[in-house]
Amino acid sequence: MSERLMANSTVEAVNLTKRYGTRTAVDDVSFTTRPGDIVGLLGPNGAGKTTTIRLLTTVLTPTSGQFWIAGHPWTSPDEIRRRVGVLPESGGYPGFQTGQEYLHYHALLYGFTGAKATGIADSLLAEVGLDDRAGSRISGYSRGMRQRLGIARALVNNPAVVFFDEPNLGLDPAGQSQVLEIIRRVAHGRGATVILSTHMLSEVEEVCSRVIILNEGSLVASGTVGDVMRTAEVERAAQLRVPTNLIERARRALSEVPDLVIERTDGRPDVVRISLRTSAGVAADETSERLNAAIVAVAAANVPVLSYEMEGARLTDAFLQMTRRAAS
Amino acid sequence: MTTVVKSRDLRAPRNALDRPAGRSGWLVVAGQEVQDLWKSGRGPLLLFCFSVLLSAVTYLASTNQALNFLERREAVNLLLQFAVAVGVLVTLIVSADGISGERERGTLESLLVTPVSRRGIIAGKLIAALSLWLAAFLVSVPYVWVLARAVGILSKALILGLVVGTIVAIGMASIGLLISAVCNSNKTSLAASAFLLLILFAPTQLPSGLPQGWFFDVLQLANPVASALSYLTTQLVQGAHWTEDLVYLVSPVITVVLAGGALILFGPGIVRLRAGGDAG
Repeated sequence: MSERLMANSTVEAVNLTKRYGTRTAVDDVSFTTRPGDIVGLLGPNGAGKTTTIRLLTTVLTPTSGQFWIAGHPWTSPDEIRRRVGVLPESGGYPGFQTGQEYLHYHALLYGFTGAKATGIADSLLAEVGLDDRAGSRISGYSRGMRQRLGIARALVNNPAVVFFDEPNLGLDPAGQSQVLEIIRRVAHGRGATVILSTHMLSEVEEVCSRVIILNEGSLVASGTVGDVMRTAEVERAAQLRVPTNLIERARRALSEVPDLVIERTDGRPDVVRISLRTSAGVAADETSERLNAAIVAVAAANVPVLSYEMEGARLTDAFLQMTRRAAS
Repeated sequence: MTTVVKSRDLRAPRNALDRPAGRSGWLVVAGQEVQDLWKSGRGPLLLFCFSVLLSAVTYLASTNQALNFLERREAVNLLLQFAVAVGVLVTLIVSADGISGERERGTLESLLVTPVSRRGIIAGKLIAALSLWLAAFLVSVPYVWVLARAVGILSKALILGLVVGTIVAIGMASIGLLISAVCNSNKTSLAASAFLLLILFAPTQLPSGLPQGWFFDVLQLANPVASALSYLTTQLVQGAHWTEDLVYLVSPVITVVLAGGALILFGPGIVRLRAGGDAG
């Protein structure tokens, strides 16, 4: 145990596997996290994200493999539960309780005295912006407010690792923004590790320091967003928008750049779409550099670039590429 | 709406969370479950229905007694049997909702990730269900008082009702929780539990004039509800001493031991997010 603590990893999963009969929900997944990390747990439906969370929170028992949470091994579920917080996907709430009563109850479940539990409940309600509704019944809360209450509940034990399973599901953009802000504060203010399972890749790019991509139970990629995008080897392309009357001059300038292919852009007379003749085996950074050379060439030809948009450079592209590759 | 971002930090230090000194988990669950039962309106509603039925039975028993169709002791026995049977039924209904209801409402997972053991969760829910039995018994006290005081069996009737009813309630509530843990649907759990009590209670309603052989007697003794009600009859109508006919309490006690034992042994394995498997 001491070795695990010295390594300063908050989550360490080694060959984690969960099978239901012949079906494998999680297959040989290994990864580690550090304090303050916000880790995006990504994957298509049925990839094993929720099962992974339930394994790491001891709700399910692994078929094989090992894991440690804040230095405590999987064989000590009580110790682990004291150190994790969870916002389950589609979790329910007792509508007749008030937000304050709900948090107070959960603090008591962690063994706090009544007075301490009251203090924790009040503090967390303030932290998630629900202090003005502390005495209102949960049945009167909006979905966003319930999610924030669920986040507060996940924090009653000041956990070392917090798992958020689809926290923004069904929330409007304002609600999503609020939840993301709270998640940032949990990681950076409290120093907790946040494992964020979500389908919203834009929010992963926005808040996550690392990502783990699962597909059909297996880990297909992990690392920083940049690392994952580099290893995904997504075909890159770019679109330049230039003044319509200068489009031919731009095309001529681009034709001078080696390895560039100028593609058709039907119906858009002011757009030039370019791609590399081959990007296989070429590092993503180099691909970007070659595409960026196109701007230099166009600018050198005295054609103003009105807009420049890189394709295949977003986490969504990497995610789709990796899950398709794994499926094939 | 604007999210209020507060900078104050009242966090407990993580080391302090290792062993906080609050109440035991099962006591916390029990307290909250009892509160939920009564504040959500389920408990008061069930108790109201129980009171209405008990009023009707008391009225019928007392008027029959006035017309000499029913001896006074029999009237007390009838009322007490009804109070125990229906009191146990409402207890069973509440316990049958215990696990499957949490699953359906999506509140079970947040309970399972707390340090409270699954046995602790079961114990808390069992206590909450039994609180309804105790409330039902308290409601029946004035009705028993009305009928029993004239024949001098008030205290005997009340003690018998409390002891025998509590034994049967613990056994049936344990069975209800077991059913609830293994049923994915709350409707299935409630229907199965109600059906179970019905088939256990039905034999007690057979006319006493029907020919009854040894096989019926064995069935009667094996049936924890029918057997417990028979014990009440021997005590209240036939005036037996409480140590006589204790054989009637064997099956209720065995039910408590078996169902309670099953909860203790298998509870941690069957209180899970989905019944019948480990699937999340």
